[in-house]
Amino acid sequence: MKKEQAAPVPFPGFGRLQRPEVGADRASAGANRHLTDLIAGKLLFFAALVAIAAVIFIIVFLLRDGYQIVLETGAWNFLAGQNWNPAGQNPAYGVLPLIVGTLLVTALAMAIAVPLSIGSAVFVAEIAAARTKAAIKPAIELLAGIPSVVYGFFGLILLTDWIRIAFDQPSGSSWLAGSILLAVMAIPTITSVAEDAISSVPREFREGSLALGATHWQTIKNVVVPRALPGISAAIILGMGRAIGETMAVLMVTGNAAVIPDPITDVFSPVRTLTGTLGIEMGEVAFGSTHYHALFGVAVVLLFITLAINSASRIVISRIQGPQGTARPTAHRALVAAASRIAHAVSAPFGGVVSPRTSQRCAFFLISLSVVIVLAALGMILFGIVVNGAGAISWEFLTGSPRDLGRAGGIFPAIVGTFYLVGGGLAIALPLGIATAVYLIEYTAETPLTRSIRAAVDLLNGTPSIVFGLFGFAFLVIFLNFGISLIAGQITLGLMILPTIIRTTEESLRSIPGSLREGSYALGATKWQTISRVVLPPALPGILTGAILSIGRAAGETAPIMFTAAIFSSRYLPSSLTEPVMALPYHLFVLTTSIPGASTQSYGTAFVLLLLVLAIYLAAILVRRRYNREKVM
Amino acid sequence: MAGKSLSNMAAVAVAGTLVALLMIAGCLGSEGDSVTSPSQQITVTGSTTVLPIAERAKEAFEANDASAAIMVSGGGSSVGIKAVGEGTADIGMASRDLKPEEAASYPGIVRHEIARDAILLVVNPENSVDRLTPGQVRGIYNGTYTNWNQVGGPDQPIVVVGRDSASGTREFFSEFIMDKEDFIRTQEEFNSNGGIQQKVSRTPGAIGYVGLGYTEGVKALALDVDGTAVEPTLQNITDGTYPINRPLFMLTDGEPGGLARQYLEFIMSAEGQEIVASLDYIPVQG
Repeated sequence: MKKEQAAPVPFPGFGRLQRPEVGADRASAGANRHLTDLIAGKLLFFAALVAIAAVIFIIVFLLRDGYQIVLETGAWNFLAGQNWNPAGQNPAYGVLPLIVGTLLVTALAMAIAVPLSIGSAVFVAEIAAARTKAAIKPAIELLAGIPSVVYGFFGLILLTDWIRIAFDQPSGSSWLAGSILLAVMAIPTITSVAEDAISSVPREFREGSLALGATHWQTIKNVVVPRALPGISAAIILGMGRAIGETMAVLMVTGNAAVIPDPITDVFSPVRTLTGTLGIEMGEVAFGSTHYHALFGVAVVLLFITLAINSASRIVISRIQGPQGTARPTAHRALVAAASRIAHAVSAPFGGVVSPRTSQRCAFFLISLSVVIVLAALGMILFGIVVNGAGAISWEFLTGSPRDLGRAGGIFPAIVGTFYLVGGGLAIALPLGIATAVYLIEYTAETPLTRSIRAAVDLLNGTPSIVFGLFGFAFLVIFLNFGISLIAGQITLGLMILPTIIRTTEESLRSIPGSLREGSYALGATKWQTISRVVLPPALPGILTGAILSIGRAAGETAPIMFTAAIFSSRYLPSSLTEPVMALPYHLFVLTTSIPGASTQSYGTAFVLLLLVLAIYLAAILVRRRYNREKVM
Repeated sequence: MAGKSLSNMAAVAVAGTLVALLMIAGCLGSEGDSVTSPSQQITVTGSTTVLPIAERAKEAFEANDASAAIMVSGGGSSVGIKAVGEGTADIGMASRDLKPEEAASYPGIVRHEIARDAILLVVNPENSVDRLTPGQVRGIYNGTYTNWNQVGGPDQPIVVVGRDSASGTREFFSEFIMDKEDFIRTQEEFNSNGGIQQKVSRTPGAIGYVGLGYTEGVKALALDVDGTAVEPTLQNITDGTYPINRPLFMLTDGEPGGLARQYLEFIMSAEGQEIVASLDYIPVQG
């Protein structure tokens, strides 16, 4: 890292401090040094306070309005009520069908996604040739960045029709459609994280196993995968979180009937999820009504589900990791033994009939098949969008304003609006997030207070984006009366990515060895000098990757902006923060769901949005790759 | 403060990229015709049902008067009422009348009925049914009839499609057809007319209700009123023979002035009402 070439020194008076030891006036430099240290500490503390206050405020705000519904209908009627019918003669606000819908859609999605993802991860990490791996791995990572509204667009156009015809059902909008779509969306995430876990299993494990005469498949099954289990579990939980929190794609394909499937295994029944309910009912609900409070209750239920998943993941990972940390060899042997017992039990019916070689052949066939299925599904979506979308791209489309409800003209204001929204969100979240993380890691000891702050940040980190949309709508748009405006959208997006930025920055700061800090202090550097010159520079790539991934997420999200900032059509670019803006994901959503006869424009918008988000993710991958290479050298 | 400049570097790198992109975007824009700075400006927000009228009227209005900027956004009737009541928008749009609590909070709101919206029953074009009595419609939506052969159609399960429970369209439909009786719980719900239209056009057994403008790819049913089939033609809707229609409002806080008044006058003018008709709403003037 070349410090001298970095950005110009912001304040001329501090210029001397770049080299305090060669400063002309050492005494005053020393005094300044400590003053700076003090100011920096206070500023960081203040930023951390603001960020933490925001995080806690969101949670309290949701709980406060959500609690109203408990007062109005009773907790039992709300949570266990079988009927969600806010518009009925006798309005009913039972969320049980929504909870069941969410759980069913997520469970089936995981049942589809987990085997395919782990198969793909094993293929990429263990079986694929180096060159194939180099091509497939970044491709799968990029696919994790496809905005959900793009998947929803595809689900609406192809998937529901396919289900209706293929299974001879009256309607294709169903639990199954939602699950397939969520599975396709979760696969890249799970595969990518699981592959990292499998690849990080030390080479000696494989060599040892092969040397003992095990086949390649036996090695994978009994040694590598058990060893990578914590990482794989984390991957599954991450994918599950994404599936539960997904709003737009699900909303577009599940039919949104608030019923519990009857019988409960009827995958062709329409279902409604918690997030989908917020997505379709938030915009028209009368402020302060019981229905309004019920929607907050739904958000709180989502918050608790997130909490449950977070806790479960922590327990699972610590269970598996715990013993390994202390007594690795024994625990490892035990795990392998357990895994092989399970494998024996599973293959028992085949008894001695199946030779190791045959079983390897079968296993590899299934694994390759899973990769083929995954790549085919994702390839089909990409191919459809690129082929149909590229044709819609023209100079007018990219630089013009929409006409005739988006059926003609261009999407230029939407492209610019997306940049405004993301730029503003980042301008809010990046300084606050980095400062908070620095303060938490460098200035505080591990106390119950910091632990609860971290828990709050984690909770919001996994919270579905539609919940942020609800918060932005209720607090910024309605309560503070910002109206549907650019600033409301920017703040909402900023709050949404704030937890991610705090967490990724914390992770990269934590990865800096304590010895570096101690060395810096030993040389007489102040705390701030240590942080700014010793700790932050090597942590920068990690922080940047986190920031870029947040940009990608913010650019592709529809749910947080559709009730806070986005308008469907505008000839002008916004000239102030109080004006609404167009945005690509929202434009695509409206074109797809509300404007008949605009399929060319839909494909074109999807294509542009896809290019934009994928470019951002590509940047993140490149930054990380460069950083990894530097580390090796 | 080399370190500070380093942490700055992160911010500068990211901000720089964004600024560069914005500048590129800005340059592209100034080449197009889309970006000029307006001198007079109003905001219009609210119901997505009224949105197309506001949007088209805005396009025509701005074509006549280049100095005017009218910002049209959606968000729903509640947002429109709240925004105009609180003064954050100049004009609110609502596809329903004010609720009692809303009227109490904002006594100054003036309603302008700018158009009417008919609600059509639509089925898939393959469906042989082409008329239903209000009683049959109610039977379908409350779950009494579950197969088309119960109402004179083919042997095919009925897929009931409707609007979300916060929708003004659903509220109106519920009062008019259902007499506030509950809908069948397996009704599939969409939050836009277009969503219902798409669903019905792709699903042979589906029935839905949409605004007048959403009939591409679907078949609008005639309403069987006392034995006569009333087609939902513009004529029948305008003279009230086809009974399912409701008013659409623009709202202002007190009597409007300036650009807001000109804009509303434009919508109520012959040209404005022509726009209303061209978007398949029912004109209220002329």
